[in-house]
Parts: sequence; C-alpha cells; structure tokens
Amino acid sequence: MIEDEIYRSSSQFRLWSFTEASLKQLRATTNSVASDRVRAALRRAQDARRSATSSTTGTPAPGSDAENKAAEDKQIECLTPEEEQQVVDYYSEQIIQLGENYKPPLPTIVRATAIQYLRRFYLTNSPMTYHPKQIMPCALFLATKTDNYYLSLRQFAEGVPGQTSADDIIAPEFLVMQSLRFTFDVRHPFRGLEGGIMELRAISQGQGQPAPHFQPSQTPEDLRRALLSLSPSSATASTMNDRISRAHHSTREILKAAAQITDAYFLYTPAQIWLSAFLLADRPLAEFYLDTKLGGPIISSSNHDQNPLYALRTKLLTTLANCSALLQAYKPFASDEARMKTLKRIVGKKLYHCQNPEKANIAGQKRIPAAAAAAAAAAAGESGTSESEMERLAKKRKLERGSETTKDLFGGELVTQRTKERQMEGDQQQ
Amino acid sequence: MAVSPLVPHASSVAASSSNAGNKFENDSGTNSPNKTKRSSSPQRMKNPDREITEQLNDDVRHKYIKDKKLGEGTYAVVFLGHLRTDPSSFVAIKKIKVNAEYKDGLSMDAIREVKYLQELSHPNIIALHDVFSSKDQNLNLVLEYLPRGDLEMLIRDSNIHYGAADVKAWMGMLARGVWFCHENYILHRDIKPNNLLVAADGEVKLADFGLARSFADPYLNMTHQVITRWYRPPELLFGARQYSGAVDVWSMGMVFAELLLRVPFVAGNSDLDQISKICEAFGTPTEENWPGVTRLPNYIPADPNHIVPLQGRDFFLRQFPTAGPVGADLLMSMCTLDPRKRGTACQILQHGWWLAEPKPTKKQDLPRKVGGTKKMGDDLTRRGGELDDTSFKNAARQLDFGAARD
Amino acid sequence: MPPARDIMAHRGDDDEVCPVCKSSRYLNPDMRFLINPECYHKMCESCVDRIFSSGPANCPVAGCHKTLRKNRFRKQTFEDINVEREVDIRRRVMQILNRREEEFDSKRAYDDFLEQREEIIANLVHGTDVAKTESDLQRYAADNMRSIRANQALEAQEASSFREQQTHEQELARLRREAARLEYENERKEMLAGREDVLSRLAAGRPGDAAAIAREGHKVLLKKSSARRSEEDRIRQKQAALRNSDARKAGQGALTTADRADESGDSGLIKGLKKIKTPEPEKPYDPFGGLIPNKRDYYTLRDHYPNSYLDPIRQDTRMQAGGYDLQEYYSRTLMEAFAGLGCFIDEEVSKREVTSTMGISRPVATEGAALAAVSSAGAPEASS
Repeated sequence: MIEDEIYRSSSQFRLWSFTEASLKQLRATTNSVASDRVRAALRRAQDARRSATSSTTGTPAPGSDAENKAAEDKQIECLTPEEEQQVVDYYSEQIIQLGENYKPPLPTIVRATAIQYLRRFYLTNSPMTYHPKQIMPCALFLATKTDNYYLSLRQFAEGVPGQTSADDIIAPEFLVMQSLRFTFDVRHPFRGLEGGIMELRAISQGQGQPAPHFQPSQTPEDLRRALLSLSPSSATASTMNDRISRAHHSTREILKAAAQITDAYFLYTPAQIWLSAFLLADRPLAEFYLDTKLGGPIISSSNHDQNPLYALRTKLLTTLANCSALLQAYKPFASDEARMKTLKRIVGKKLYHCQNPEKANIAGQKRIPAAAAAAAAAAAGESGTSESEMERLAKKRKLERGSETTKDLFGGELVTQRTKERQMEGDQQQ
Repeated sequence: MAVSPLVPHASSVAASSSNAGNKFENDSGTNSPNKTKRSSSPQRMKNPDREITEQLNDDVRHKYIKDKKLGEGTYAVVFLGHLRTDPSSFVAIKKIKVNAEYKDGLSMDAIREVKYLQELSHPNIIALHDVFSSKDQNLNLVLEYLPRGDLEMLIRDSNIHYGAADVKAWMGMLARGVWFCHENYILHRDIKPNNLLVAADGEVKLADFGLARSFADPYLNMTHQVITRWYRPPELLFGARQYSGAVDVWSMGMVFAELLLRVPFVAGNSDLDQISKICEAFGTPTEENWPGVTRLPNYIPADPNHIVPLQGRDFFLRQFPTAGPVGADLLMSMCTLDPRKRGTACQILQHGWWLAEPKPTKKQDLPRKVGGTKKMGDDLTRRGGELDDTSFKNAARQLDFGAARD
Repeated sequence: MPPARDIMAHRGDDDEVCPVCKSSRYLNPDMRFLINPECYHKMCESCVDRIFSSGPANCPVAGCHKTLRKNRFRKQTFEDINVEREVDIRRRVMQILNRREEEFDSKRAYDDFLEQREEIIANLVHGTDVAKTESDLQRYAADNMRSIRANQALEAQEASSFREQQTHEQELARLRREAARLEYENERKEMLAGREDVLSRLAAGRPGDAAAIAREGHKVLLKKSSARRSEEDRIRQKQAALRNSDARKAGQGALTTADRADESGDSGLIKGLKKIKTPEPEKPYDPFGGLIPNKRDYYTLRDHYPNSYLDPIRQDTRMQAGGYDLQEYYSRTLMEAFAGLGCFIDEEVSKREVTSTMGISRPVATEGAALAAVSSAGAPEASS
C-alpha cells in the first residue's frame, strides 16, 4: 500500500519505532548505565567533600574511606526502569497541564509533540541524570518552535510556574535536540482522525467513495445503507451525524491523553493509533469503517487464499486490539490515588537522593565547560563562543549559586559544593 | 535501510560502562589530539563517562572527516568532507553558527531545515545524510555534496549556451522536487535559481529549507514574509496569511521565465515596486480576475487610470518565444495571478509540454560549469530569503575562498 | 549417410554408364547425370524423371533406402563426389555456425571457433559422432536462430555491397578512361588551335618575333594542361575520400545490427563470444520520475467532504483569495488517516534489528555496511 511506503520514510518510523522487547531492553540499558554513573558521581562528590574538609582541617583520616564508601553504596538506592517510567509519565501529564497556562492554551498538537520529545529523550537518558522538571519546559518550548507556534522565550517563560528563568528553560535545548537525534517531526494521529471522520460523514450523506480496490462493486449508496443499518452504539444516539460527532469527540480525548502518555507512539503507527482509539469510542462504527477499506469478514473469508486484504485485515485486527488495550489501560495520575502516592515516594524521596549531582547544572555544564572557558581566555576565537556570552553565563552561574538552597517538592537543587565539582567536571571533560 | 540505532548502541555503552575503573586511561585516549591513535581494532574503546546520547552523536560525527572550508556566511560555515571509510565519498558539512543575538535557542532556520530534510528523500531534493553536534554545541548538517554550482550561475554565465531542451530538463527536475515536497505537505517558500544546486551528474536539487513549513491545516496563520522578493507571488505581497502550494508554483514560474530570458523577469526593488512590476507584466489584479483580492490585508488598490488587462497566451508566446506555444501555455499557468487558478505542482507535471518536442536533455548532457564547489559553499551559508544580487559581494567572496576551489 | 561411402569406392570407369538404367553415354551422348545430396547416388536425368516425377520415392540403388525428392536433384559440380558432398556439408554447417570475428572477445576465441567448426565439418564428412554432432548443431541452430539470421542477412548485405562496389569501381574506371580520352582530345584540339594561332600571328607579324611567338604559344599550352590535370586530381581524390567514408559508415551499420541481433551471449556450443549488452531502449520522458501521481490504495479522494468546521472557510473570500485550498487539507488528513496502517512495527522493526547490528542513523548512499565495521573510538577533534 502506497500510504504505508510513505510512512516508512518518516523519521518516526526509521528511528523511533520499537518492539515491546527492544523498548524494554533500551530502557533497562539506559537505567543501568545511569545508575552506575550516579553511584560513581555521588562517591566522587563525597570524596571531594572529604578531601576538602581534610585539607582545610589538615588532619587526614586514613582508613575510614573504605568503610564510608561501602556504607554509602548501600544508601544510594537508584530508580528501577519501571520507576523511571512512572516519573516520565507523570511529567508527560504535566506538559498537558503546562499547556493550559497560556492564553490561548497551547495547541494540542504542540503539547503532544512536546510529550513525545520528552518520552524520546528519556529513552536514552535517565531522570536520575537529568531531572524531568528541567527537561519538560524545554521540550515544550522546542515543540512550539518545531510546530510553528511562535512564542518568544520570554513569553513562554511567563507561563512556566515557579522561579524558572528563560535561561533555565533554554539551557538543556541542545541536549534535548541531540537526544532526539535531531529529528523534530512527530507524526500524530489527530489529523488522520479528522480525515476518517470526514470520510464517514461523506458516507452517511451518500457521498462516500469506495476504496480503490472495491471501486466497481460498491456504490456510495451501498456504503450509506450499510452505515445506516449499523446497530446503535447506545440508546441515546439520535442521528448518524450525532453519533459520528460523539465518536469523534471521544476518540480525540483518548488521543490527547492515553495515546500520549503510553508507549503507543513507539509501538504503533498513527493510523493504527487513531483507529484503535476509534474502536474504543464506537466499536461498530470503527469496524464498519475498517470493512469499507479491507472488506468485511464475509467477503474475505469466502476466498481468503486469493485475497491479500484478508491477511492484512487479520494482522491489523490483532494489532489494533493490542493498541486498544494499551490505550484503555491508561489512567491519569489525578484519578489514581495509589499511583500518585507511589510517584510522590519515587520523585520526592528516591529521585532526590539518586540525582546525579554532576549533571544538575545543565547550563553551566554544556555551554562552557570550565576548562574551555579558561582556554578561551588564553586564546580567544576558535571555540566560537563570544566573550559577551561567557560573561553572561558566568554571571548566571553566580546567580544560580545564590539560589542553590531553595528546594521545592520535586527535588530542587541538590548540589552542594558546586565550585569544587565544577572544577572536577572540567578536568574530566578536557 | 531503516535502522533504529538506539538499542545496539546502548548495549555497547552498557558493556563499556562496566570498566568504569579505567576511566582516566580512557579519558586520555579520547582527548589525545593524535589522530593516528585511533584504534583500528573493531573493539570500541568508549569513554564510559559520556552519556549514551553523546556516544550516539560521536558515532555519527566520527563517520565523517572535515576537509577544507568551502564558504562562510553569517549563518553557517560549509566544509567539504568525506566519509572516514571512503575518502572518495564527498559530503558537504554545514556547520550552523550559534547566533549570539538570538536568545531563544536554536534558530528557526536551522530547526526548519533539519526538521523537513530529515523527512524528505527524493532525487531532486538535497539529501541530509546525518546531523551531529560538534564541540561548543554547534550543529552540523551532513548534506549531499553538489559540486556543480547552481542554476543562477548557469543563467548568468554568458559563456554557457543552452536551449529549450536544457530548460525543459532543469524545469522538470525542479518541478519534481517541488511536487514531492507538496506531496509531503511541505512548502519550500524560497525557490529561486541559487537554491537550485546541481549535482555531479547534472541532477538539479532543491536546497535550503530554512523557510520551509508544513501546510494545509485550516485556520492557521502563516507568515507572508517569505520567498525572495523577485520570486514572491502576488498573494504574499498582498499579505495573505492562509495560502497553499501555489506560492511555490509562482516561484517556479519565475525561475522558468528567468531561465528563458537569462535575466530575472520581474525584479522589483521594493515590495511595492514588485507589485507594480507584476501588474505591469501580467495584468492588474481585480475582483473579476481574482475574486477576493481586494480583501487581502495588504491589498493596494490599482490606479484606475492605469489598469493593465490580464495577459493572454499571445503575450507569453511573444515574450518567451523559445518556450514554444505549449511551453508558453505552461508558463502562463504558473504565472496566473489568482492562486486558485494557478496550476498545482502535480498539474504542472501533467502538462503536455514535457512530452512535446524538443525532448528534455539528458542530465549528463546538460551544460555545465566548473568551479561550482565554492558556489555551493556560498549557497548553503546564505540565510533564507536573502537576495544575493550584488556582484561585488560575490567578488569579495571569491577573493576569500579562491584557494578553496578544487 | 553411410551408404554413400561404399558407393564412392567403385566409381571411375562406370562414369559413363547410368548405375540405374545401365544406359551409357555411348548410346546416348546427351545423357546428363544428376545427384541428390541426400545420398549422393548418381543417376541419369531420364531415370530421375521416370522414378521421381510422381512424387518422393526410394533411391533405386540397391541397399539405399533414402527417400528422395525430384526437386533436390542437381548437377554435380565437382568431379569427385566426395568433394561434392563435403562442399555441401561445409555450406550447411557454415550457414549455421556463421559467427563473425567481431563477435568474439579475442582473436584467440575466434580461432578456437574456426577450429571447432572445422572439426564439426570433418565429423560429418567422415561419419564420426554424426548423431551427437548433428543434434548439437540443431540445438545451436534453434537457440541462436536470431543471430544466425542476422549474420546471414549481414553476409548477404556484404556480398551485395561488394558486388555493387565492384560494378561501381568498374564504372569509375570506365569514366576515368573516358575522361582521359576527352582530355587527350581537348589537348590535341588546343594544340592544333594554338599552332594555328601561332601560324596566323607569324603570318601577320614581323619576321624577328617568330621565335618569341612560338615559345610563348608553347608555354600557354603547357600551363593549361597542368592546371587541368591538377583540378582533375583534386576531384578524383575527393571522390575517393567520399567512397571510403561511405564504406566505413556501411561497416559501422553492419556492426551495430549484429550487436543488436545477438542478445544470447555465450551460446552453449561456442565459447568466447562477447557479452553484448543490448542498449536499453530509451524510455519516454516521465515528468514524475517514476512515481505515480495521486495514487492511493486505502481510499479515493473526493473534491468535497461535508464538515461544518470547515464551512466558514468555504465562505471566506479572503482565505480563498490567498489561495488556501481545502483540497490540500482533505488530501493530507486522509493520507495521515492511512499512512502506516499496514506497517506492523513489531514485525518490521524486529526484522531490521536482526539485519543490522550497528546503528546507522540514516542511509548514506551505500556505505552503510562499510561504516558498520568502522571503529569510532578516536579523538573527538578528529573531524574538525
């Protein structure tokens, strides 16, 4: 089918489609790499602290190091891949909320793109390395740019609650883009839903065109009659037009939430996603629509050996059923107290302790590594970073140091002794 | 071809992360400026201290070697590069400069170009092979290497002679590229001769997607400040915010006319001048020939004493005799004032001109010009929508990069 | 064919006697002998008329059971019936194995072919391995019908052009002779005229000028004739050059037809034939470059869809004037409704994970495989 070939050329299919197994494996890998490094980083931080104290006091404490290390390793309890998933899901939902803060609210598609950016980002990064609350606004801002919904960074920052500055929002942008492998196009199921609904409406008015392979045998009138003879989905449905509108609306709601906050985009194609959601919204209607494309069970079972559509139909129905199940299982955090409780435990306590201290300051870390700044001072030029920008960043870091102590519910700034660590970080990078 | 690269790489990262103890040893290896130190063994000596995404990026970056600089502009620097594995496989590496004045992160031009080129794969659209970041967060686009300059060069060079068959071949390739963009619901919005680059085999490729965007959604405003003035259609000059693929078709028509005349056909020196020159050339837009035109935001009422009637076939045939009657008809359909009456890219390709005599020249037999490499450098460093018509500016660039010619 | 061999043994004196009716040339001086290439048994013309006029019949020679047809009887060309037979065989084989030198990769291959052909002829002449050789020959003939025909046509063409060229050359020679004769006559006429001129001038002039007048007259004649000669040379050379280029053109034409005719390459029997690529017939120009416009498999696009949400646009002249086209929206929504419906990620992605163990973000021409082998551990500065 030519439409499928077109989809195969998309970056979403080429780079961001996974089997359940490969998705799981990838997340496990990301988690284990991040856990190792969090432990190592925390250990280094502690060593540094210790040596700092010992150098100031002048009394080394030999022998106690090993014991301390062992004790601390026990203390550092990292997130599991499942817990990481919970965190990412939670912040995916937060993006929907954040979009409401603007007037007018950000378009659904911008928010959906941002959510997918966030989910793609956390396939190769762990929340322990980069806290989602730092990444989330950046992903949303990037989505406004890539989806042609222009807002200046300043305008955007006004909608972000808390003390997040414009610089904080934009700091991880490059990191996010790199994790997205510089693919910005996300193929959503929303527009496809509109197409399907339009076609159903056309059918209901006797204007439906049969699919090319049913062209001579079906007439618009056949299609209309078949549609009108469907068993009613509920007693309240008065007209076919209302029924389609209702199905349209509920499908859209599923696509706005369940499809975003599950792995649907990784496992299924947009066409499969909207049809799965449609099946949940009004099964007879959705099945009728599929039959107009792939032939009903009677047509196909009569001579399914010759009919390639039969094989496609069988496979597709299984896939759609799986996708429907995935979408149906979704429950928002707000309506799931137990889940919310677990999440608070994960984010509030556990993530607080296993946050990688060396990655907390994204802005300072990426833009100007300490050593690079030093080198640039000696031999200006080359790096391409202008003097003024360095000054700007230096100032910014000073400001950050001032606000280090503030903490909020989900983590806050963890890192103490930042100066020391930044020095170390610089040493490692160059 | 399609490979999801995340899984296998990630596992290699996991493997290397286990020897975290060797960290410092590996560090020194990574930082060594000595290129010969690159191990030839298939075993990857990864730095476990780099994030998975950084490693993935490094993998891409290490596929290529940057050679000499081809050109530099305010927006980007372009290098000639090649695959590490195959010194004969050239690529152009476009390094996008960090814009210090733009505080909102990566510029829209870069975002658009990367976003759309990642999705488009067609013989008449410049191929984006890879994207990677280099130090200091510079974005590098690995683009198809197109060494034979652009159409503007061929049009301007009076030593190059070409005829109707050559024009047909070039226009055919342009129209295919534009049609493919529109089939993927992407508007290019900056079609002009110097964005049409020529590959080593003579194939014309649509480049510079810095102003591209997806289209077709209802009620979405788009900016009318796109497309270089001489190639901008009247609806954009009148400030239309909802438009269609017809804008690119107009630009195609202007390129067609320029190929035939060897000078820009309607070259206004301001937006207002551009409108009056269009009216002069094709006729004055009125409610009769273009319903609703007077309601466009920036519509300027025509001087009632100077209404030019809509030009017919005769005019086009007289102005462009080389196109022949069928070609003139095609040009007329591209240059129709009312965008709804203008041909779509698909209709353009369905026109009888392509099958009429003379046959389009085979791409390998098309007139060519040497020294296009530098031109590619210039073309890729330009910012979208810029007019590049001052010859002394080119001369200055020539001095700068004369040494880079191959 | 074996019967022919014993016959050959006792020929000679009975040449003059018909082996069938035993009538002799002595009694019948007009008697003519005929043979049939089926068995090469000789018999007189009247026997042939008598036995075969009413249709095919068996050869009357004792022990020979070949069925002969009257129309195949012909006069013997060579006195030796063995030579006659060999020439026939040779002609038949050469008609089938009619490969030309230019069809072979090398001179060596062509020589091998010639040798092989001689061997086949010898086999048939001497009756060794006849059945196998015949069947090989037949198979080859069937497989290579087209190139055999083409080469035959070429040969015929060459023969006729050779004949033409000969007659042409003869004609040229005749013209040259004619021209030479004319020239000679002209020269003589001029000489006579010149002489008369000198004589009349001498008669009219003073006696002292006589010698000068005679000398001058002679010079003029010489000049005229040499000028004429060089002019004729020039024309002749030009004609020769033209002839040559014509011949070259004809040769080239012949070569290309041979090339075209033979697409089978190595036939089973003959080795070392050039692999000939038939040039692809030029395809008509396809403006769409191989893609099919507006092809859709899951749906048929209409020009109008009922949608109340879109109705305001249909009425909005400003949007219309800007060129906004709902058709593009219909097209896009329906494309996205079905793009990827039949892509089963679980199947397709697991397949691609098997086929490639290394990650390549995007296909770059064909170097994917090569890249996978590359070790990417290196200095990060290497590429800048």
